[in-house]
Amino acid sequence: MSAPHPQVSSTPWAIDIDHVGKVFTLDNGESLVAVDTVDLKIEKGEFVALLGPSGCGKSTILRLVAALEDPTTGRIAIENRDPLSLSRQHRLGVAFQDHALLPWLSVKNNIALPYKVAGRPVDHERIADLLGLVGLKGFENARPSQLSGGMRQRVSIARALILNPDVLLLDEPFGALDAVTRRHMNVELQRIWGEERITSLLVTHSVEEALFLADRVIVMSGRPGRVVKSIAVPFERPRRPEVQRTAEFHSLADELTLALEPEEAAAS
Amino acid sequence: MMKIDREKATDLVLGVLGIGLFLVLWEVIGAYRLAGLTWPKLSDVLAFLFEPSRQGLFLRAMGASFSMVAAGYVLGLVIGIAMAALVHVINPLRPGMDRFASVVNAIPPIALAPIFIVLLSREVTGMAIATLNVFFVIYVATTSGLQSSTRGHRDLFAVIGASKIRRFMSLDMPAAFPALVSGMKYAIPAAFIGAILGEWFGSSRGLGLLMVSAMQNFQIPLLWSAVLIASTASLLAFGAMSLLERFVYGRFR
Ligand SMILES: Nc1ncnc2c1ncn2[C@@H]1O[C@H](COP(=O)(O)OP(=O)(O)OP(=O)(O)O)[C@@H](O)[C@H]1O
Ligand SMILES: [Mg+2]
Repeated sequence: MSAPHPQVSSTPWAIDIDHVGKVFTLDNGESLVAVDTVDLKIEKGEFVALLGPSGCGKSTILRLVAALEDPTTGRIAIENRDPLSLSRQHRLGVAFQDHALLPWLSVKNNIALPYKVAGRPVDHERIADLLGLVGLKGFENARPSQLSGGMRQRVSIARALILNPDVLLLDEPFGALDAVTRRHMNVELQRIWGEERITSLLVTHSVEEALFLADRVIVMSGRPGRVVKSIAVPFERPRRPEVQRTAEFHSLADELTLALEPEEAAAS
Repeated sequence: MMKIDREKATDLVLGVLGIGLFLVLWEVIGAYRLAGLTWPKLSDVLAFLFEPSRQGLFLRAMGASFSMVAAGYVLGLVIGIAMAALVHVINPLRPGMDRFASVVNAIPPIALAPIFIVLLSREVTGMAIATLNVFFVIYVATTSGLQSSTRGHRDLFAVIGASKIRRFMSLDMPAAFPALVSGMKYAIPAAFIGAILGEWFGSSRGLGLLMVSAMQNFQIPLLWSAVLIASTASLLAFGAMSLLERFVYGRFR
């Protein structure tokens, strides 16, 4: 390793998204600004939710943090290091917007894949526990093609959690779920997260989900994405589902919805 | 489920009907000499084929030809997969290998056969042509199959920190499997063509030799018997590969 760069070594943040912009060059040669300057710092053990209209660059930010894309401007550091080193050390958990399960593996083997890749022994007990947590006990030998969209998403969440990652990235993980299952999964995720306090970045379209799960909610503008609002969520942990019926929850939800809406009007 | 079963049953019935119709036509054309003297009745060919005194002749020819087909097939398969894997891992080799494969494929086997006879021997020329044919089909199928993994899956392997080799073993190879099995199916007739064509060029054994000598001596039932054996074997192997293909497609996609 090279000597730490003074700029690099000094931040106390777990994830430091430092004035990051992303421009894609399209096939026809035009360039598309997906993310304008986004400056977002996430503490160790903090849960941050990202809200914003479709196409504003939320997934792109997640992909930048996961080192799947390189920023065009600015830089990203995770624990003061290149984001790539995190995935290389098998310390990153990602649940993609499309579940990305391998069709030729059973549910169990899909969840066990990170163990194989990391060269670690498969912990069958942990797989069984996580399957229980995401409500898929009895499906360990099913194939992805035999599951519903929501079940596949839950498998991919279990896979993201399997190695006890230090950073968890969730891209609309509950998008394909019905309201009841979604609420149930929120409660479960909140519980798992409460036990392990993984530094997490969640992309969601649900204001309620963001408020229930996160310590901080960020609202982005329509494309090109910029941060337009950031609110700290005051609710104590562990949070019970009832918190969603309090007046404070409702007023925060209204505030976030309002922050989202003018952008939607401008985008159309 | 019921619907799919019924569809399958209809397919099967139509298939059997088609084959039956073909065989009846064969018999009728032969019986009324519609295509001249060189088109025998199916029943005559079958009687000739199953005549006990000729069993040894046909079995020996089948043994010789099918062992060449099998050896050429396996050799072409192994070389095709190995080369496809090699150019997939060491990408700069790919354009050269692609060009080599297409050039080899573009040369008619008829033109290559004399060279093989000189280089190798008459006996294995059929196998060598079969190997070349199979190699090309398998190489093309496997190289494209190895690139058929989706972006989502490649991203997954990146974020879980997979090495190149791990990704190759756990993603690229399984993703290539359906394409490979389709290639293996189309390589079957390619192997038969190669092996039998090779035997035409003066091999001392095999169905190809039977065909040539029957043709030269105007032994029409013998010629048709040899053709019938080769076609039936090729069709059966092709059918078996189709079943495997269906299974693999259901499982790997
Ligand atoms: N690889 C790429 N090449 C070109 N353009 C891209 C690429 N990836 C994303 N974009 C563009 O960047 C913009 C932001 O995309 P992104 O997927 O980040 O949006 P999002 O906020 O996640 O939307 P959604 O809520 O619908 O998932 C979009 O306009 C998209 O078309
Ligand atoms: Mg998205």
